[in-house]
Amino acid sequence: MQELLGTLPGGLVTGAVYALLAMGLVFTYKATRVPNFAYGAMATFVAFFHYDLVEGRTFALHLSLLVVRLDIERYVQLAFWAAVPVSLGVAALLGLVIERVAIRPFARARAPMVVNIIVTLGLALLLSALTQQIFGADQLIVPNDKAIFSRTPAFAVGGVNVSWERFGVMVLLAALAGATWWFFKATRTGLAIRASATDPDVASLLGVSARKLAVVSWVSGSMVAGLAGIALASVVVTSDPNLLLLLTIKGFAAAIVGGMVSFPVAVGAALGLGLGEEWVRHYLVSIDAKLWQGAPEVLTLGAVIGVLALRPRWIFTGIREDEDTGVVGRGGAADSALARAIDPVEAFRLTRAALPTGLWSWTGWRTAKRVGLVALAAFTVLFPVLPFIDDFYTLPANLAIVDAMVLLSFVVLVGWLGQVSLAQGAFVAVGGAGAAIGANTLGLPFPLPILCGVALAVPVAVLVSLPALRLRGLHLAVATLAFGLAAERAIVPRFDASDRVAPPTWMQTDRDRYWVFLSLATMAVLVCWRISRTRIGRSFAAIRDSEVVAAAYGIQPVRVKLTGFAVSGAIAALGGTMLTYQLGGVGTQSASVFSSIASLANSVVSGIGSLAGPAIGAFLFGLYPELTKGEVQATSLSFWPQITASALLILMLAVNPGGLASMARFVRSRASAYDDSDDEDLGELMARSSGGDAADLDAENAQEVVR
Amino acid sequence: MTDPVLSISGLSLAFGGVRALDDVTFDVERGSVTGIIGPNGAGKTTLFDCISGIRKPDAGRIELRAPDGGVAELVARRPWERNGLGVARTFQNARLFSSVPIGEILRTVQHTSMQRSGFWRSVLGTRGARADEAETTRRAEEALELVGLSRHADKPPSELSTGMLRLTELAAVAVVRPKVLLLDEPASGIAQAETEALGPLLRRLADHLDATIVLIEHDMPLVMGISDTIVAMAEGAVVTSGPPEQVRTHPEVLRSYLGATA
Repeated sequence: MQELLGTLPGGLVTGAVYALLAMGLVFTYKATRVPNFAYGAMATFVAFFHYDLVEGRTFALHLSLLVVRLDIERYVQLAFWAAVPVSLGVAALLGLVIERVAIRPFARARAPMVVNIIVTLGLALLLSALTQQIFGADQLIVPNDKAIFSRTPAFAVGGVNVSWERFGVMVLLAALAGATWWFFKATRTGLAIRASATDPDVASLLGVSARKLAVVSWVSGSMVAGLAGIALASVVVTSDPNLLLLLTIKGFAAAIVGGMVSFPVAVGAALGLGLGEEWVRHYLVSIDAKLWQGAPEVLTLGAVIGVLALRPRWIFTGIREDEDTGVVGRGGAADSALARAIDPVEAFRLTRAALPTGLWSWTGWRTAKRVGLVALAAFTVLFPVLPFIDDFYTLPANLAIVDAMVLLSFVVLVGWLGQVSLAQGAFVAVGGAGAAIGANTLGLPFPLPILCGVALAVPVAVLVSLPALRLRGLHLAVATLAFGLAAERAIVPRFDASDRVAPPTWMQTDRDRYWVFLSLATMAVLVCWRISRTRIGRSFAAIRDSEVVAAAYGIQPVRVKLTGFAVSGAIAALGGTMLTYQLGGVGTQSASVFSSIASLANSVVSGIGSLAGPAIGAFLFGLYPELTKGEVQATSLSFWPQITASALLILMLAVNPGGLASMARFVRSRASAYDDSDDEDLGELMARSSGGDAADLDAENAQEVVR
Repeated sequence: MTDPVLSISGLSLAFGGVRALDDVTFDVERGSVTGIIGPNGAGKTTLFDCISGIRKPDAGRIELRAPDGGVAELVARRPWERNGLGVARTFQNARLFSSVPIGEILRTVQHTSMQRSGFWRSVLGTRGARADEAETTRRAEEALELVGLSRHADKPPSELSTGMLRLTELAAVAVVRPKVLLLDEPASGIAQAETEALGPLLRRLADHLDATIVLIEHDMPLVMGISDTIVAMAEGAVVTSGPPEQVRTHPEVLRSYLGATA
């Protein structure tokens, strides 16, 4: 009993941290129906800013506009409490900017849930990279004299001292919970948000401005996040994207248990989760750390899956399942100034107007395109032996092929099948583990371990897809996040680099491996290409667009989803087996949830619906930064690639939900929508419907447009 | 009334306290056109949902009869199995696969009939799978031609008018060669002139497919003009059924439509 009592303070403080996150998530979701995966990153950003200000910081601004020159360089240091309003002001500004740039365009375009999820995940990547770039990649360590609450013991519970700091966190949670309760009960805005959460359409008819609500909730949500960040900084704040994500997932787990709308249930679930983890840590992990590693994360996964499987009624009052389908916004391109400024259709039309007509209708385009493709293919095959390519670049090229496989697995799963999985990284580890088992435990000769890795991924994929058979959108994303996290913490560490896989004698150099990997990747792409051109690919698209309609036309949703998850998992695992042969051991780095999310972001930017996407993405995000690395000093870690990629992700989505590789098709279809004004009379159409003179169907063309 | 293709008996479904379907019983004659009419909330679409398998009734039987006397009970079967047995439906607001060009939609809906195109056969492109694909494409083109939309094959539904979507939907159910065709308000949302052209088109479709049509329709001239039998529903129950001229003058039908006390 004494021992149990002793775990209470630690468990409750952990739970309070989760609860603060969960409350913020529920708040934003209630008001704007956006699941904010960037919440933890926002809190961290503000906390870093705040303690930077307290420690002292030099603000520098250099502007040179024609004749006006502006040079401000100033050292600023504020006392803790004087800095609080400044930090909260920055938090408010952050919320305002995020709402305007990353939320409003999607609300206007009525973007589906999947897009909202990807956008806020991109936002989380962007903010965590910015935090590291601006404030340094180090952990935030708050010295004793700068801590918000004193760290001296306040009282003891069950023989364990509770510091004022931990006590303060609990008090803050209680205060914020009370304030939230009061806000929703007693203020007009709170009432409006409740009305809007119940029925957004009716609420807007009654004069509740959805846009104003969104601004208010993002600004105040950001300030609460900032406050929590400042208060929790000395307990838990981190700029490490992995840890940040871990906290956000725990917050989401608690919020999901509360159906994304109930504050009391979410807070209760968060406290329960914190206590449960503390007990797991105290009674299991501390006894045998190796055997029970990752147990707390498995507990989170169990809680999420359990609650979603039981489907208690309250869970589904918040999220309407019918909203959660599709990957492409129904409203088309977003109508924001940002989107208009770089509208590809306008650019296309302007370019066409500027070019001489003769050039435009030049018939040699086709030949030029073909020659270009052949040249590209030749370059890819001969890459390692080209005279101007250093041997040094073959290793990055091999790793880029692995990246391409992960991106391809996202194309199949997200772009074609319309499902979200944030556990693709785990399949890289599964593939690696399978290859290691095949080569070392079973002692199989070369190509067979690769088959082992790919084959092992299929049952795992079926296991992961079980939630997907009943869940969609946000629920599925959180379930796979929890799975990815559990795999990262509980399974991956068991296969460390000591499990070396020796490549065959003829595959010892990076150059040899390049050709082997390229052939394997080509085979994977060919399989996907066949899928996209046949019945299998069509059934994927049908499930993506509407499961009900698909079932009515004879397509079995369960079977199609299982197939899609298995194919996608097998492709990621193929990448994992390559990684194992490249590195010698299992590639644990690529197995993290963070790397899964970064890959998802990259695959959206490079084209989530197209087979060219993974190649473009692997070049842009895998190979290119490595090739240009020589210019950057090795000592200064730069986060600009990640900042650029995630900013680009948000921008690309705002303009065109299909991503880069679909841009050409997107431009063509929208440009043709401009030109095609001869809308024919439907009555006439019907009258001559049995006559066949309109049979100018070009089936080849139709297929090309689909994929 | 000797050769029913579809026998519905005692079909009931309640949502909470609302009886959406209340002991619905009627037969659909093979090769006929049956119109289902009734005010909003009469349970017409719920009936279609039960026949096509999207909803499960609380009680009752739905039997699909083959010409040789074989009987298939539908209630216990999943939606895609019913599609495989030859029951196809359209949706009230022309629901199609929104991001797929209509030519491709017409190939997608032939999923069940492609028996030689399993996963590996499709990926490897075996002779059977290639023949399946060719056949599918041919039939899709044929169906588009039947409704006169060949020119628009590569456009997604978002670029077509409601009327064209209706036609696409008809082509989509036609292409699967169903035995029973369930059409949910095929004329809603299209102009009057187009509605007048729709009647002959539906007739031609029924002849071309040699299929039985069951349609829900609010447009009285259309439904009375093309139906052999009318089933009138109100508040989840069948009020009366029979030839159009008989149902048209039925006092219960007049009352439920006009609210007059007869």
